[in-house]
Amino acid sequence: MATIGHTGFRFDVTRRALGFNLPQRIGRRLWLPMLVMALMAFPAGVILAAIRANEIATGGSADTIAALGHFVPAVNFLGFASVFAAISFAIATILGEFRSGGGKVQEAAGRNVETLRMPGTAKLFLGFMAMGMMILLGAVALHVVAGTAIAGGSSYALGKTEQWAIWLEGIRRFGIATYLLGIAFGLSTIITVLRFQVVRIRELPEEVRIAG
Amino acid sequence: MQDLLEVRPAPGTDYRARSRFRTVGLTLGFVGVALAMATLINGIAAGVLAGRSGEEVTVGRLAAWSFGLATTAFGTIKFGIAVILVGILAQLWIRVEAVKWSLPALRRAAGAGETIVPGTVETPYGRATVSISAPRPLLIHRMARALWAPMLAMGAMAVLAGFILSLVQTSNVGADDALATSQEAWVAGLQFLGEGFLLSGVSFLLGTILGSLRKGGGEVQESLGVGVRTLDMPLTAKLFVGLMALGLMVEVFQFVAYAVVATFDDAGTIASSFAWLGPVREAGLGVLLSGIVLALATIGKALGFQFSRIVEIVSTGS
Repeated sequence: MATIGHTGFRFDVTRRALGFNLPQRIGRRLWLPMLVMALMAFPAGVILAAIRANEIATGGSADTIAALGHFVPAVNFLGFASVFAAISFAIATILGEFRSGGGKVQEAAGRNVETLRMPGTAKLFLGFMAMGMMILLGAVALHVVAGTAIAGGSSYALGKTEQWAIWLEGIRRFGIATYLLGIAFGLSTIITVLRFQVVRIRELPEEVRIAG
Repeated sequence: MQDLLEVRPAPGTDYRARSRFRTVGLTLGFVGVALAMATLINGIAAGVLAGRSGEEVTVGRLAAWSFGLATTAFGTIKFGIAVILVGILAQLWIRVEAVKWSLPALRRAAGAGETIVPGTVETPYGRATVSISAPRPLLIHRMARALWAPMLAMGAMAVLAGFILSLVQTSNVGADDALATSQEAWVAGLQFLGEGFLLSGVSFLLGTILGSLRKGGGEVQESLGVGVRTLDMPLTAKLFVGLMALGLMVEVFQFVAYAVVATFDDAGTIASSFAWLGPVREAGLGVLLSGIVLALATIGKALGFQFSRIVEIVSTGS
């Protein structure tokens, strides 16, 4: 396998088509479980919110209302973390189809298989996705800790609940923004891959003609 | 006009050129993250002040504009994602032209000129229809092509209008709290309706990409004179349409509900309404995002089918 860099792209040259790489194989396996988890989390969040709204309307205990005030965003943002993961994994699967399919076409044409090396945007996609997920899951974990402490009767936690909620809200928002930026990088990688494949497929007829 | 909404570049477009859509989209993404960073810093400051007595008005003001700015940040990144999707759409049509240009020289001559038998065939990717000419666009593809731009425009306007209203609300916190609370309801309803429109625009763009894959794949096969194989709509595509419609309905519902809450006077009723409406509006976005996952999965499947068909044409000639 050689690595070459003409036409502005860095790519590997092999005799046979390469399959999905590791992140793409993970993506193909995990997009559906992540989607299912998200689809369970959002209704659960709405149900908890309805219980909390009922507690507020009927003058329920401050502890219960405050604890639910942490559990509701914890469940909802577990849902967002899951659905963004599902989107990221689905994008990785698309990139895998391009990598695998593009190689098979070149192999079928009897030519060397040129496969684009992972572009910088793909690395940023993985980096921002991991960062966004960690931020969101960190916020979810802290919400659960706060909610559990309040539900367990901690007056200190109850006194600090507003402050914690404000901080965690800011962290959640930043986590969402980071995740979305990761998705933008993933999609922009598809543009790069498409450009590479267009250049490559236009080279093939000339190579076939020369090879006879 | 059709080519404009399909983002189909004119024949002869430089296929080596870098995509401007990609640059613009990523720039918008970074702007959105910078705005979110500002709301994070604001949140840290508000949290510190929340621990002190006598700072309730300041905390209320910080929370008011912070909400508006955070939702605007998300909207900006989503708009950037939509711009990148437009770039993908343009690049897909350049790919169609490239495959049309190259395949005649790559296919084996043996299979050329074989009789085409219209009907259906089973493939590893599901059932496909065989026809002589490229299939006509489905209703959902025509809808997607017509609606992605208006949805994005309406979404951007609603999110921005909500942000401006959040600034007005900020000035009313502590001065006229009843009015500020009413405006808070309008801001949340308007901005999440806008987010719903933006995600619907993204969904329609994905639908347009699926339509382009179908149409472009058909055009390539028809130009070669081989049987046009078109993948039947997979289950994921049908579920995508359903989830998108459901998510948009939830966002319209929450907007109407917030508009009603904005007329309430009783603080307890307002607080309990806000308590359930917040997660409902977020669940609506979650459903829209779930639809987007299924659309992306369908694109992956359609691409796999297309590559297998190209390999088949190259290998057998038909």
